This record gives sequence, structure tokens and C-alpha cells, in this order.
Amino acid sequence: MKVIAVTACPSGVAHTYMAAEAIEMAAKEAGFDIKVETQGSIGIENALTKEDITSADYVVLTKDMQIKNETRFSGKTVVRVTVGDAIKKSNALMKKLQQHYDSKNK
Amino acid sequence: MNSIINESLINLTLSADDKKTAITQLAKQIQLDERLNDFDAYLEEVFRREALSTTGIGFGVGIPHGKTDAVKIPTVAFGRSVEGIEWESLDEKPVHMVFLIAVPESASSNAHLKILAALSRRLMKEEFRQELMQSKDEASLLSQLNEIFELALQK
Repeated sequence: MKVIAVTACPSGVAHTYMAAEAIEMAAKEAGFDIKVETQGSIGIENALTKEDITSADYVVLTKDMQIKNETRFSGKTVVRVTVGDAIKKSNALMKKLQQHYDSKNK
Repeated sequence: MNSIINESLINLTLSADDKKTAITQLAKQIQLDERLNDFDAYLEEVFRREALSTTGIGFGVGIPHGKTDAVKIPTVAFGRSVEGIEWESLDEKPVHMVFLIAVPESASSNAHLKILAALSRRLMKEEFRQELMQSKDEASLLSQLNEIFELALQK
């Protein structure tokens, strides 16, 4: 199972990266392939490629700020979370994605 | 080249009840290490930034910062308070770990942002926060912090 994510927060200084790290850690723990693009004050880092998007089962986007270039995810299963939830509840989020994935692929 | 942090910039027994005192104490350590051109102007910039939005990012961590000509050498000072300091944090909890960041205006534009990004990521790891809270001496923390910052600036 592959999850991709994009994180962004209003000041783009700390929480963008904390959320990215939290999502990465939780996804790895759940055994998923994971790639997280950060849209912070340094600019876009670890940008998702077309291949990343095509091969992803789920797209997680933080919703505190408009994610740049969002149309590239049209047609994908997109889950939106707050930056705060990404930081604190990424483990629960991964569990939900796994459940959804299992029920769909029975 | 001066490293971003050294032992004289680590204070494991910060004694401050409020944010302003904590920031001022750490800024004094930066000043004593001769890394500022203008102590007052630097402090003013940090408080100005702090007033825009809190730098209490949660998990007991505060990352006040200032980028100004009042800074001579890019610096991170670390202070720890066992009692905790009121910081108007996003999670409303007191701050126990303070990273005060000082960057010259002329620094390669986003040096402090890179440091902050690397630090924010590392702070998500519980072992790292525990290390910061429990470490008994400055020297053992120093090498860890140095490694994180140097890596961040190479990126």
C-alpha cells in the first residue's frame, strides 16, 4: 500500500515539517510506502512526481492552507486532515486507511 | 568557521517564569559569546516576531527566532526548564525546551528556516525530546545538536 502526502501550514516554519515527520513515522510503522512533500517557507521539498501520484493508493493533504497544485490529485482518494491531527493522530489515520484499503480489496 | 552552537550556549537550568525572561537569559549567553552586534536590537526583533504568532510549537518546545543585522554569527542557544515556562503554546502547555535562534540578515537567505525545519522534524521523535530533557551535561547534547544543524545547512 502506498500513501503520499503534502503538508503546509500558515507560517511554514515548524508545523509543516512536524506534520511531515509524523505522517512519515506513522506510515512506516504501519508498513506502508510513504512520500511526503512539504510546502513550507523554504519552498517545495521532496516534490511528488507523476509516478508517485499514479502509484499512490491514498493522498493525505493538510487543510490549514491551500495546497499548491492540488489538481494533480484529481481522481485519487484524497483524505484531508488538520496539521494538528497529522502531528498528533497520524497513527490512527494510518489505521483508518488500512481498514478502508482492506474493505475495498476483499 | 564558528559552529552554530557550543557549550556556552546551552543552559540546562534555565530559571525563568515567563517567556520574556527566558528569551533574555538565552540572548545574554549569545551576547557573551560575542555573536551579536547589538543585543537590544536583537531582542527587540525576537519579541516582534513572537508577537506575530507564538513560537510554542507543542511537545513542550519553544523556538523563538530573529533574523536581523544585530546578529553577527548564526547561532542556536538551547535552554531547559524543568519547571516549565508559560509560552501561550498552541497546545496550551508550558515550554520546557527553548531553542533561541539568531541569524544575520545577510545570511544565505533561508539558513534559519532550514535549521528550524530540521529541528522541528527531529523534535517529533520522542527519544530526542527525552534526551533533551534528561541529558545531564552540555557536552553530550552538544554533539547531537551540532550534527542536526550542520546537516540542515548542507542541504
